[in-house]
Amino acid sequence: MEDFNIRETSNGQIKILYLEGFLDAHTSTILESTFNRLIDEKSYKLIVNFARLSYISSAGLGVFMAYIEQIRNVGGDIKLCEMSDKIYNVFDMLGFQLLFEIYKEEKNAIEKFNTSG
Amino acid sequence: MKDDSNKILIKSSTKNLAEVRQFIEAKALSKGLDSQVTNQIILSVDEACTNIIKYTHKYKDDNTIEVQVHDSENQFKVEIKYRGEGFDPNKVKIPDMVDYFKNYKIGGLGIPLMKKFMSKIEYNHIKPDLNQLILIKSL
Repeated sequence: MEDFNIRETSNGQIKILYLEGFLDAHTSTILESTFNRLIDEKSYKLIVNFARLSYISSAGLGVFMAYIEQIRNVGGDIKLCEMSDKIYNVFDMLGFQLLFEIYKEEKNAIEKFNTSG
Repeated sequence: MKDDSNKILIKSSTKNLAEVRQFIEAKALSKGLDSQVTNQIILSVDEACTNIIKYTHKYKDDNTIEVQVHDSENQFKVEIKYRGEGFDPNKVKIPDMVDYFKNYKIGGLGIPLMKKFMSKIEYNHIKPDLNQLILIKSL
């Protein structure tokens, strides 16, 4: 059984989500619930770390599109990092770097939040 | 699911997408396809099945989807059969992604991914209530 999990840590005001497993139309609701909870908690500076994500389909991509505008409107952002080539290819194929900041390393995403808010 | 079968039948539920992906992966790897091509086919079949589950069967899992792999020397062909209202992915316009992101649009990215990753997509309405979607990857 393929599975999907999210582990969560904080770095100051920044919340970092570590995705693990398979993000598809079945599991994407878990990520939606996490974003909903973080917004309720007024956590708007979010980093998503993809290092342990094995798979993403358009349902997973759709979750990021569903929340990015709302989070940016309140001064936050969702920054993405540490994608394997396999995962990056899916984002890249559709041009997601036009809208999202995608970093090779998590520390660069943290640095960007800390220097530009 | 028998390992030696080229066909699986799943109930139309997103919880069965993992089984479809594992089936396609096993078939692609046994044919010796590289991981990049294999991943592109897996994602395309997932997107096709997701659309059928969501839009045709509206998450009612008393419906079924049949996925069959047809092997030939120069192509990897996946045939997907399902009942209900069919749709032809070829008739769906690929969005302008600059406009898509500028306007924070949501959804509609499954078919663009299928079209980008597969060499050809065929849709046939083969019986009054039976649809056939064929995803072809040229090798």
